[in-house]
Amino acid sequence: MSYAVAMTGISKRFGAVRALDAVDLNVEPGNIHAVVGENGAGKTTLMRALYGAMQFDSGTIEVEGKPVRFANSKQAIAAGIGMVSQHYGIIGALSCLENLMLGAEGGPIINPGAAAAEATKLATRMGFHFDWFKSAEGLSPAGAQKLEILKLLWRKAKIMILDEPTAMLSPADGEALFASLKQLTDEGATVILVTHRLPEVLDHCSTVTVLRAGKRVAEKAVKDTNARELAQLIVGGAIAEAPQRAASTGGEVLKIENVVVRGRRGEDALKQVSLDVKAGEIVGIAGVDGSGQRELFHAISGILRVRTGSITLEGQDITSESTSRRLRQGLRIIPEDRHEEAVIEDWSLEENSALGLQRLEPFAKGGVINAPARHEAATAIADRFATKHGGLKLPMQSLSGGNQQRFVAARALHLAPKLLLAFQPARGLDLNSTTRVYEGIRQACQQGTAALVVSFDLDELLEYCDRVVAMNGGELLAPPAGKLLDRDTIGRLMVGAE
Amino acid sequence: MSALNPATNPFGNFIKQRWALAALVIAAALVVLGALALSGTPPLQVLSDLVKSSLGGARPLTGTFRELTPLLISGIAVFLALKAGLFNIGVEGQFTVGGLACAMVALKIPGIAGIVAGIVAGMVFGALWALPAGLIKAYKGGHEVITTIMLNNVAMLLTTALVAGPWKAPNDQSPTTTSLEQASFLPNLIGPKNIPGSAGLFEVGELQVSSGLLIGLIVAIALWYWLKRTVAGYELQAVGANPTAARFAGIDHRRVTVKAMVWSGAIGGLAGAVQVLAVEHRFYPQLASGYGFDALGVAMLAGATPLGLIPSGFLFAVLNKGGTSIQVLDQVPKGITYVILGLLIIIAAAVRYRKTAGSNG
Repeated sequence: MSYAVAMTGISKRFGAVRALDAVDLNVEPGNIHAVVGENGAGKTTLMRALYGAMQFDSGTIEVEGKPVRFANSKQAIAAGIGMVSQHYGIIGALSCLENLMLGAEGGPIINPGAAAAEATKLATRMGFHFDWFKSAEGLSPAGAQKLEILKLLWRKAKIMILDEPTAMLSPADGEALFASLKQLTDEGATVILVTHRLPEVLDHCSTVTVLRAGKRVAEKAVKDTNARELAQLIVGGAIAEAPQRAASTGGEVLKIENVVVRGRRGEDALKQVSLDVKAGEIVGIAGVDGSGQRELFHAISGILRVRTGSITLEGQDITSESTSRRLRQGLRIIPEDRHEEAVIEDWSLEENSALGLQRLEPFAKGGVINAPARHEAATAIADRFATKHGGLKLPMQSLSGGNQQRFVAARALHLAPKLLLAFQPARGLDLNSTTRVYEGIRQACQQGTAALVVSFDLDELLEYCDRVVAMNGGELLAPPAGKLLDRDTIGRLMVGAE
Repeated sequence: MSALNPATNPFGNFIKQRWALAALVIAAALVVLGALALSGTPPLQVLSDLVKSSLGGARPLTGTFRELTPLLISGIAVFLALKAGLFNIGVEGQFTVGGLACAMVALKIPGIAGIVAGIVAGMVFGALWALPAGLIKAYKGGHEVITTIMLNNVAMLLTTALVAGPWKAPNDQSPTTTSLEQASFLPNLIGPKNIPGSAGLFEVGELQVSSGLLIGLIVAIALWYWLKRTVAGYELQAVGANPTAARFAGIDHRRVTVKAMVWSGAIGGLAGAVQVLAVEHRFYPQLASGYGFDALGVAMLAGATPLGLIPSGFLFAVLNKGGTSIQVLDQVPKGITYVILGLLIIIAAAVRYRKTAGSNG
């Protein structure tokens, strides 16, 4: 039997960097094949080579036994290969249906009714539900991900490449996604899954290819390996230890009392939420995406207006203060959407290093930018979590997503924050980098920072936080004393089952 | 799209794009020469007349610098708003209102005090004229292109009504204010000492350059410094580049929007005031005569820094001055210079767009 995809000896250089060094990838049809590795190991580059989004220097690709070489993604799509990248390609201004069909309308004249019926059939098969004529703008990350998968099916992709598909999904949505993928592979499709999360590999994949520094270091049947071995293969040595818990906590830094916030549709997105966070502790907020975490963060950041209730930072009522004032009082934010909220892509790393800190010393004094100090700070920020970059004067968009995230996380920790709000601080990061970022947060907390972390990955929170509370339908639910880190209890709170 | 994506094949695309750009420039040159040939005059003669009448000597240069001053200052106004992500199409109106305000003040207050007060009045009224557009954009989301275009019409009609009615010069047929006293003229920076009223601080033969140009250069350099070195400039550009990220960085995008619009309007008003004090010495409704619109092109061609406004404004000035002259010398319509400018802007956009496509690859 021939492989669905056989990539042999693929090499690619970017200037002096060998991004891929004679990499082989053999994917059997009807399977979920995992590709794992650290940030920068070459996973995405390899997938882009397969997808025709990037030309490689040497090597061959066979799809279903036939040698191919795609000059562009269009040819790859025609050959039945589809890819969902980390950054979704959903256009908010179009309806869900238009997004689904974009570029594959099947003719110059569109019959929306028939197309929607077809789309609904496709969605039902996958157990998804879409209001096809609604704008795609309001889609949650999970919804956007689902739509991306339907886009592949719409284009009749038989080989699907998914790059970090669960990075933005709740555990429940993640499980649902894998159930769908299982169904697809049962129907004969082949899935190549790029991921950082080893549990996904072990639970759902049949074969795993490990990349390290542009080389393939192993290909294993999942049943013949385990998490420990994979982690060692990925890192190529010792694994960073998980950080410690808080030894002691200090005074109350953040106090939220009975906060109510109005959501987009006029509903109460936060219902009488109260929470205390003390200096030195990391508090995790677990919950399915869209349970009010976003609104809570925006309320604390000063981006959403609080209708009733109060927010206090180090004893000062900041309920109606501007974001700028809160930042000056020591609030730091690692926003959810790196592209849109955390960086300015066209600006240099150096200019981005001041974003959010621009009014604070040493970045500025008396309203004038201190360029040497900013350069120094940018250097320190880039070094902190080993952001890979080609120079601080280069634009932010020259960095990969993971490296941008390292930079953004390091920036938030740079000036001894009083209160750190981190929304998925390890989004798109590999094991080691995730640990390093949380270590960084822990270090700040040992100096007196209070940290509030949202993640859709409950295991991540349980591993790194001192206590975890759950959000469900705009309510904040704390587990009872003694079960502050109890997975089952929190899991039940997340879905409102307790 | 993927054929233009340099990530797929950087070298091949570099060559391809260079060729594409060269082809674009050659095509543009052919369009210009073809258009000139159609007008019945030898194209090269027209081009040579155009250059001679704008750059060839003290008198042509005097005219070119006179064009440069309003183009540069209005260009700065557009540029500032552009940095905040706003298209201020209303500089024409702000220019007009600022010019009238300045003229009325300078007519009341003689001498240096009147010049200073006139400039301030021009800026204040220019700013007030832009304020509604800024407020509507910031708080109601109404697009500034629409509101500023509307305000242009209001400015034109209102000022015409005023100088045709209550503020009309008594002995004039057409709607205009009385002319300023010579003491209220903005003096020349460079000018021959032997001609009364034209004497400047420096003398370079017959050349005359108004100190209005100096004001423009100072404002351009000040803006360059402000954008590069001050936190306020940083914040304004952040709003222009990514308003959402700016909010998370504690920047009040509404206030920045209003501020950018108001300052843009103030500089537009300054351009009108300088035009009254340095060139026209009175206000009449056609004072701006399209400078506010040309300023859009000046700002577009300037590139990333306000210092780029100086060469870009100069290019527009050369074509404005030369274009007027070739009408007389060669009976070629001035419109040909707009063809040239239009093509230049297309080429500049192609170059810039290519950069963007490259970095996003």
